[in-house]
Amino acid sequence: MEQLIIFLILLAIGYGAGTMAEKKHYRSIEEREKMFLKLPAVTGKNMILEGVEIYNAEIVQGSAVISVDYFKRLLAGLRNIFGGQVKAYETLIDRARREAMLRMKQQAPAADIILNMRIETSTIGRNANTRRSIGSIEALAYGTAVTYRK
Amino acid sequence: MKYSPKQLETNVNVSRTSPLKDFCVLAGGLFAFIVGLYIFLGLCVDLIAPHLPSKIEAALGSPFEAIYAEAVDNEEARNLSRILKHLTEGGAEGLGTFRVVLVENEAVNAMALPGGVIVVFTGLLEEIDSEEEIAFVLAHELGHFAHRDHLKGMGRGLLLYALLMLFTGQDSSLTSFVGNSLVGVQMNFSRNQEAMADNYALDMMNRQFGRVNGGLEFMGKIAAKEKKGRLAYYFATHPHPQSRIENLKNMAREKNYALH
Repeated sequence: MEQLIIFLILLAIGYGAGTMAEKKHYRSIEEREKMFLKLPAVTGKNMILEGVEIYNAEIVQGSAVISVDYFKRLLAGLRNIFGGQVKAYETLIDRARREAMLRMKQQAPAADIILNMRIETSTIGRNANTRRSIGSIEALAYGTAVTYRK
Repeated sequence: MKYSPKQLETNVNVSRTSPLKDFCVLAGGLFAFIVGLYIFLGLCVDLIAPHLPSKIEAALGSPFEAIYAEAVDNEEARNLSRILKHLTEGGAEGLGTFRVVLVENEAVNAMALPGGVIVVFTGLLEEIDSEEEIAFVLAHELGHFAHRDHLKGMGRGLLLYALLMLFTGQDSSLTSFVGNSLVGVQMNFSRNQEAMADNYALDMMNRQFGRVNGGLEFMGKIAAKEKKGRLAYYFATHPHPQSRIENLKNMAREKNYALH
């Protein structure tokens, strides 16, 4: 009986705190994305404007580790029985990738363009190696920040 | 090539369904499925149990050996065996071989266990004065055997255990809780099964003694002792004594059994 109560409490904490943290994070992400609108990050390697001289090129990287809360983990577990889209984890991955990209841009705010951007996602944390659940995911975004000579 | 920065309004990577709704739908679906499975398999158990060969039934009794070990062997125990023999030698069809075991325990209860063993607790004997009352109790337990109630109860318990193990894992708290209560001693029969066993006992008493007041006397004593209301009896192993007395009286009247 106590196990059930503890389970429900964890579920409530997971849902409540998780939803609050997610909303707050999304607000912060959207704000910063507005800031960095002028700095494009592209996956192409050779997208330099004609006749422009490159003054500086350096590697920039940003990583973010986001953890899943108890409620989402349970929801994904249920999904694993029936199959279909695991919508619970969608926000998790979305936030991690956007956060990683923003941090990457933050490393070179004065650059003109970030070339050859790649994003890599991996699972880390205590439960990363077990079949049952994901602990937290890490997204790494890296690219070459290029500054033109003006 | 022109680059015009644009803030995206909508996010295509995130679905708009609420996670709570998702959770309710999934959990509800899973729960309904498990309940449906349990009911279906319970019906199967009901169908199979009457046809179970007696060898397997005897084998099912082995987990309960621990209880027999505490058996008391004295004048009272031998008396019980004698009464049981008297009851069953009247040609009770469909029953195997039986024995009665007296266990030192203050519980006012008797149980029918798989393997043909009737366990009577000393607490029960202290409440009883006459042989007819003992005979009624034994006949009631024999009724459970005749209707294979213990097998059905055990089958359902095993089923629940297997289902829980399948869905929550062997080491989950829910599974071990049900596992422990399976080996636990209380076998709950449904209200209907209890009433049927009472009726069987009534028939047997009539056959052996020509009258059925043993059961009524016994029930009357228990009813007088029990101060609990009907509600408290809802989850007990036997129905409320008053209900059983009414049922017995009705049955006796229907079948024209002598009450004295």
